[in-house]
Amino acid sequence: MSDILSQSVDRLSRVSGVLGAMVVEADAGVPVVAEMTAGVDSGPVAALASSLFRRTANAATTAGFGAVRTMQLEADHGHVIVAGAGELLVVVVAERNAQLGLVRLEASRAAEALA
Amino acid sequence: MRHDDLPRVMEALKPPIATFVRESRVRIVLLISGSGQVLAQHGFTRSYEVMNVASLAAAAHASAGALAEMSGVPRWKHLHHAGQERQLFLAPIRTPVGELILVAIFDKESSLGIVQLFFEQLGNTIRLLPEFQQRDGALPTAATFERDLEAGLNRVLPEAGEA
Repeated sequence: MSDILSQSVDRLSRVSGVLGAMVVEADAGVPVVAEMTAGVDSGPVAALASSLFRRTANAATTAGFGAVRTMQLEADHGHVIVAGAGELLVVVVAERNAQLGLVRLEASRAAEALA
Repeated sequence: MRHDDLPRVMEALKPPIATFVRESRVRIVLLISGSGQVLAQHGFTRSYEVMNVASLAAAAHASAGALAEMSGVPRWKHLHHAGQERQLFLAPIRTPVGELILVAIFDKESSLGIVQLFFEQLGNTIRLLPEFQQRDGALPTAATFERDLEAGLNRVLPEAGEA
């Protein structure tokens, strides 16, 4: 299992514009496997991204939209993309100019492989 | 930490503890000094609960420290117990005047990662408080534990003396 996690993170990290990727334990909000560029602290990103994903999922369920598959946060200088994978989350931090379509596709693929 | 410092210290701790509770969404918080003084609390309604948790937290902290030492690990960052409904987080905050112990209890509204994150911020804020900058020479001892516990308890829960 740890090989699959590492491979998923490694594959995502190699996408152009990706600053880091990690697999996070959804309930605890702590990283399981992480590859982050220098200057990005995986712990806080994992905690906040998982908390945000959980709340978004609650909102979607309450609104009758069903389960959330991916969540994308757009900020001034970059993006955070989170894909649900059962008890795990795939979290990707990308530059503003990253190829978002490819990043989202790879994040979804990784989530499907882990779910 | 001297007896007469206690009101000032407890007042200074109110804002950072309130921020920690709000941001981390924990249900219960207790902050005690290494000698058992209750410095801050949130979520407790009965004095005996505070007293019990303070005593057990101090004991757990001491046991974990001894275990770490025996294992060749000089320090530990935190203890975490994940129950089905609620989770317990117990961690030391090291300051220039001594060690504090934080106990936090949280449920599904929060997560270990979130509690860890805001615990780090709480520790950094407390270490910068003037009240935690100077050592007054009064080192806590086991003999002062009960007296300090009572003193802190009477301040965070005024009805403690009647319980």
